[in-house]
Formats: sequence, C-alpha cells, structure tokens
Amino acid sequence: MTDAPPRLGYPNLGLGVGLRAQHFPYILEHWPEVDWFEIISENYIDSGGRPRHVLDQLAERYPIVMHGVSMSIGSSDPLNFEYLRKLKKLADEIGARWISDHVCWTGVAGINTHDLLPIPYNEETLAHVVSRIRTVQDVLERRLVLEDPSSYVTFADSTMNEWEFVSRMAEEADCGLLLDVNNVYVSSVNHDFDPVDYVEGVPHERVVQCHLAGHTNCTTHLIDTHDKHVIDPVWDLYRLMHALTGGVSTLLEWDANIPNFPVVHAEVLKARRFMDGLPAEDDLPVEAGEAPTEKTTVPHPIHLVAPEVQ
Amino acid sequence: MNDSIRKLDPQRPLDTVQRWMQSVIMHPAGIAAGIDSPAAQGEIDVGSEQVEEVITRSKALTSIERLEVYGNAYCARLLECLRTVYPALANTLGEELFNEFAVGYLQEYPSHSYTLEHLGTHFAKYLDETRPAEEPGDEGPSWPDFLVDLARLEWMVGEVFDGPGAESGPLLDAEQLRDVAPAVWPSARLKTVPCLQLISTRFPLSDFYMAARNKRDSEEGPAPPAPRDSYQAITRINFVVRRFDLSRVQYELLAALIDGETVGEALMCAAKLAECDDEQLAQNLQSWFAAWSSAQFFQAIELPR
Repeated sequence: MTDAPPRLGYPNLGLGVGLRAQHFPYILEHWPEVDWFEIISENYIDSGGRPRHVLDQLAERYPIVMHGVSMSIGSSDPLNFEYLRKLKKLADEIGARWISDHVCWTGVAGINTHDLLPIPYNEETLAHVVSRIRTVQDVLERRLVLEDPSSYVTFADSTMNEWEFVSRMAEEADCGLLLDVNNVYVSSVNHDFDPVDYVEGVPHERVVQCHLAGHTNCTTHLIDTHDKHVIDPVWDLYRLMHALTGGVSTLLEWDANIPNFPVVHAEVLKARRFMDGLPAEDDLPVEAGEAPTEKTTVPHPIHLVAPEVQ
Repeated sequence: MNDSIRKLDPQRPLDTVQRWMQSVIMHPAGIAAGIDSPAAQGEIDVGSEQVEEVITRSKALTSIERLEVYGNAYCARLLECLRTVYPALANTLGEELFNEFAVGYLQEYPSHSYTLEHLGTHFAKYLDETRPAEEPGDEGPSWPDFLVDLARLEWMVGEVFDGPGAESGPLLDAEQLRDVAPAVWPSARLKTVPCLQLISTRFPLSDFYMAARNKRDSEEGPAPPAPRDSYQAITRINFVVRRFDLSRVQYELLAALIDGETVGEALMCAAKLAECDDEQLAQNLQSWFAAWSSAQFFQAIELPR
C-alpha cells in the first residue's frame, strides 16, 4: 500500500450521470441539478457536430469526466498514439477532471471487436499492462483511472484473481481505479467468488470513482446490460465501498431501454441513503432483484449517436 | 484464490491467447466452429473437448457456453450499430436479410477503428462487391443498385451530421452575393461550407429515404421508386442534417464550386447541360444562388485582386 491521498487527490464530484444523446434535449432545456456528467470519450473526440456542440455547453456548467472504451490497455497490439493524443486534446479543451478506461483488451491484429475482453491475470500480463499504463500516463500527462470489467470467462493461464491483479496494477503503475460495483457483482456470480472479498481487497485510497448500473439475470450467469435499476446486492457493495473509501465520485450508467432523464438521475440519487450522515431525498424503493430472463441480451458498451436529419 | 484459477507452466504468450480468443468469438458459425477453425488452431491447438485447457468453466456454464456470451455479443452489438447507421436500408430489407448482409460485411470488413462511427464505412462498397451477377437482358438500374445508392446516401447523412460544420463561423448571405459587381463575378470563387456534400443516385431517393427511415415496425414500408437519375445536396444547418433535391445542372454547378472552380468556370459546365437559353439560365442562376445562400451553402466569396 502507498501513502497516496484519498482518490489520488482527485475530487469527490458527488453523484453523476452518464451522458447519453437521448437526454440532450432535456438537459439543454432544464439544466438539471446534476453533480457531474461522464461522457463516452469515443463519441466526442472526432465530433464536429451536435454531440461536441452539446458537450461544450455542458462543460461550461458541469464537471465532465471522460470514460473510454477503446484504449485496449491489455492488448498485445501496439498502443494507438493518435487516439491517445485525441483523448488528451479533448480533455484539455473541456477541462475533463480525469480520463478513464477499462482493464481489458478490445481487439488484436488491428481489429477492434468493440467489446471489453478480459485478460489472463498473471505476472507476464501484469508487467505488460503496467508498462502500457505508464506510457499512456506520459502521453496524457495525468494519472489514468481504470475500471474493472464485467467478464464472462476466466483463463487457465491466470495465476491470480482479478482484485489482486488490479490492486498490484494500480500500485505498480501508480494509477487510479474506477470500481464498478455492479461489474464486481456480475463477475462474482459468473466466476463463483465472493464480491465482498473483491471490494475489500482493492487499495481504497486509489479508488477515484465508482460505477453503478443494472444487469440481466440469465439464470446461469449475469450479463452487464446497463438497462435496469440497480439491485439490492449491488447497493450493499456500494455501501461497503463507500465505508472503505470514505466516499468517491459515483456515477450511474444506463445504456439500453434508457428511461427519461429524471428516472436515471433519481436512480443515482438513491446512493445517498447508503452514505453515512446523508439523508435520502426520496422514498423510492431500491430494487430487490430481477426475475431471470431467457431473452438474448447484449453486454454493453454500445455507443453510437444517431444522426438528426430532416 | 478462485477455485477456477490454476497455474499452468509454461503460460501461453498473451498475443497467442488473444489472437485465439478473437478468432473464436468472431467466427460466424459459432464458438465450436471457431475453436476448430484454422485461424484458432494456428494459435492454440485445442479442440472443443479440450477448450478447458484455455478457458476454465464455472459452476454453471461450460467453457464453450461462457465463450458464447462474447460470440453472441460481438454479432448482436455490431448489427445494432449498423442498424443505427443504416435505418432506412434495414427497414427496406427487413431484419433477416439486413442481418445476413451485415454479418457478411463484418466478416469482410471487421472494424479497425477505435470508434464505432467508422464501422459502416465500406457497407455500400460491400453491397456492390457482393451483388448478384447480372442476367442477360437486364437493362437499367436494378434492385442491387437501389440498395447500394440507399447505403451511400445514409452513410453521407452520418458523415454530414458529425463532421466539420459551419455553425460557429460566418456565412455568406444573399445580400452579400447581390453586392458583387457583375464584372468580377465570373472570376470569383465561392467557398462552400465544409458540411456540404453532393450525391447522385440512380433512383429518386429523397422521399423514400425519410419514409423508410421513419417506418415503424408495425407499418408497411414505402414502395421503392422507379429508376431515375437523381441528385441531392446534403448539408447541416444548426446541427441538423438537411437535404435539397437538385437538377443535374445544379448538381454540376455546385460540384464545380466545391472543387474550387471560379463561378465563371462552374457556369460554363452548367451551361453545357442546361436545356434553356442563356437568358433563362441567368434568371435561374439568380434564384438558385438566393436559395442556396439561404440554405447556408456558402461561407465566403473570394474576389479577384
């Protein structure tokens, strides 16, 4: 463990919402009292149209965090320096509070599967990822924040569990962690481990941010669909995470069957009831759980802004 | 330590595992076929029965069932993205046929970009490359031509929507155009906005495109139009894509201006195609330029020194 300050010195921004294009009109009309927004970096780094125009307006009023899905920090392909420079340029232009991505790979041999694929957790891959994080941090000129992915496979070549891997990775690369407690829960069911061990096992002073989301119960496994309310066991992990970290920026992701903005915002505000000394502002019930489904579901991310055309 | 984690010595190199897994989950015939494919076998020589040597099983799922989550997601995710980029084409073809084309396309042109915005770049080209051979006696534009043109139009709409625009810069208005002295007008160059693009198609797609794009699942789709060479200008006004039908003469005139020709040179191109006398063309030009300036086609005018 290090003597790093809480959240590596990054601020606790409060309770934020993942910015989605469907909510642009509502936000621009009502300017809701949201603590902060997280954007999907890839939707904005090349945008010359409405997405970037809306982002610029929001960046004047709200703290913005950039969350990416294509850094592919765990890939054996070379890093994409053009992509990294674009990330930095946008971060500088909008005053992004930090830049995050996932502990994963998205493709190899030049291909992008646009999925967040897990890596085997062993000494070789740890050294590989740590080295790449250091390079990325040099290019971005800031500490990177990396999220634990939901995953559906484990590798015979792994020699350590995921929380040991991400803990050592964060310490050795001197980067931050984005602890997605829904992902921890999803992976714990899929890989037969206790999610409490995971939340207790990471270096809490390096946790910069937390993600919350809903998932889909497929009976034999869970899929991280981001299309539902957060369920009780995930809130329990959030409560534990909050107690262990002392509180970090918390964000709700909702990416499919997206309800109106007030519903999404209300969902993240439920987090207040799990914070010591902070009253809940509503009496909305938390979700006890979700009935299993057999329909085909797609793990997120799917992030594409549809054109507006007349 | 998780029960499912065990140490193998020696471990496989990371790039070997990743190339193997990518080959397996991207295989169009499913995970088992992917494991047995030459691409995967070339990386890790295991069959479906031995795949636990690479991917461990969970209490509830076999190794293959776990890999199927990624295999299913790869296809479903990218098909959803292509439907978002090509909604009119998807509604015209129907889900089954669109998916068939899209799966073939993803095999031929997998994503090489960090952004999904580029996923559909080559779809029109793919449709053209895989079109059925023409039968003897076939004449004129056919159904495959229609699909290719519709895909080209939809891709252009997406490019214009999120590409560079002119919302923050000055625009040339009709009054500024009227102030140009007639003597210098032929030598002037009109700088068009960066979002202005032109498309020529073998079918009149304008009305069909919007009707097909907005079609709900429960509704009957619009009838495809009969072939006719057609032209449109696609641009963006206040961050919304706008479409303008053009005549052939207007299309050629604007194309020359976009290419940086002087107004005089552009007019020469147009005059060759115009089916009217010079006086009528001059009157038409006045109304065309007034309409195009109000549609924000032009950013500036460069006058000769």
